Amino acid sequence: MKRFFRIRREPEKVVPDLGVISISLLERDATLPFTIRQLNNLPENVKRRVYRGIFPPTLLTRFGIDPIQWTSANKEAMVFLKAEPNSEKVLITAQTSPDPSTEFFALELADNSLNGIELNLIVLNDPTAQRFSIDQTEDGKPTMFGTLKRNLQAEERALGAGLAPGQVRAGLRGSRLVFEQIDTFLSILGHRAYFLEPLTYASAWVFERRGFAYVRGHKLMDDIHREFQPGGALYSCLDDESTFRRQTQANTVRGRAWAIHDGILETFGARWDNIRMVKQIGRHAGVETFPGAIY
Amino acid sequence: MASRYRITRAAYLASLNDFREFIKEHCANMPGMNTEKLYDVQLAVDEACTNIISHGYAGLDPGSIILDLEVAYDKLIVSLTDFGHSFEPSSAPIPDVEAPIEEREQGGFGLFFIQQSMDEMDYQATEDGNKMILIKYLSKTDGGRQ
Repeated sequence: MKRFFRIRREPEKVVPDLGVISISLLERDATLPFTIRQLNNLPENVKRRVYRGIFPPTLLTRFGIDPIQWTSANKEAMVFLKAEPNSEKVLITAQTSPDPSTEFFALELADNSLNGIELNLIVLNDPTAQRFSIDQTEDGKPTMFGTLKRNLQAEERALGAGLAPGQVRAGLRGSRLVFEQIDTFLSILGHRAYFLEPLTYASAWVFERRGFAYVRGHKLMDDIHREFQPGGALYSCLDDESTFRRQTQANTVRGRAWAIHDGILETFGARWDNIRMVKQIGRHAGVETFPGAIY
Repeated sequence: MASRYRITRAAYLASLNDFREFIKEHCANMPGMNTEKLYDVQLAVDEACTNIISHGYAGLDPGSIILDLEVAYDKLIVSLTDFGHSFEPSSAPIPDVEAPIEEREQGGFGLFFIQQSMDEMDYQATEDGNKMILIKYLSKTDGGRQ
């Protein structure tokens, strides 16, 4: 005897624009998500209180930054919030000194067309580590982290120093903390998930470890892993003829990422684009497309 | 207390065997489980995943399917989450199982098989993905609760 079969589609994906956040709005259904745009339309000090919740406090205090005032011991501003009224984006950056080159944290969240949240940018750099100018050409033009143009000499040095493509400095090793905090922050806003498009194979692998699943590209990641095995199409293209295509690179996340950054996927008619990942709030998807990986 | 298990695989046919084996590994020795019920669950998951692969991720580079098992004392709750196109129940054809086999339309039996194999089914499309929940009761042979 069947009990019941229920098929429903709720809630609707497009959340109504609730307008400016007010006390009366806060008193309504607490499950309705707030958008970045709504937060950006709050008065400046309210907005600052809310966005303070994005930061794990220990990420700031380890650099001597006051997690409430966002200043150094000398009362200099170290954290910067860009959240213009009516904008659907918020960018938060932090640096260890007044010199912008000491930036160690950058995070941009944005509303998407379904009133979901996109993580457009996350940078966690060790500000004391050597900087590699893979983000600009020899004549100073932006490379968009090597996606638009490439500074091959800087990239070779970065590879030699153990960085992954797209990195200008070694990482800060704080991503677990930051992603847990993003989960908390977005759950307070009423969101159940957020999305991103990984810049590189290495960043996709990191996001897997942080609990993301794939909206698009899971099969591509499986294909990549298979083809980097001895005898595979990608493995056979690691011909040691360039710094970016050495055979040992098949065994590591970074090595594969550099070869992919160098265009090796064209071997089997694929490209590193259109990969999309999702993090469900409070859930770890358990994806592992490179079992037993060495970073 | 219920036990929970999870496996996530890419949405393509080669993953179906992983799901089948995962279900067998965690459910075969459940109290009240038998070969027939285990086959029912595997069949329902096979069909649901095939729908996700063929329709949910149609035209997309396939994303993930997350299979969650919640093993309780009298029932098995199976959740399948994907991030492709959501399922439109109204667009699913109702197969004519009475028609002579040579006159039957190809396909369209996935939902029918799932309904025949499981005791309850729920489907939701939400901000964090499409979720199909399938329940199999184990304490009685007719599938009902005690």
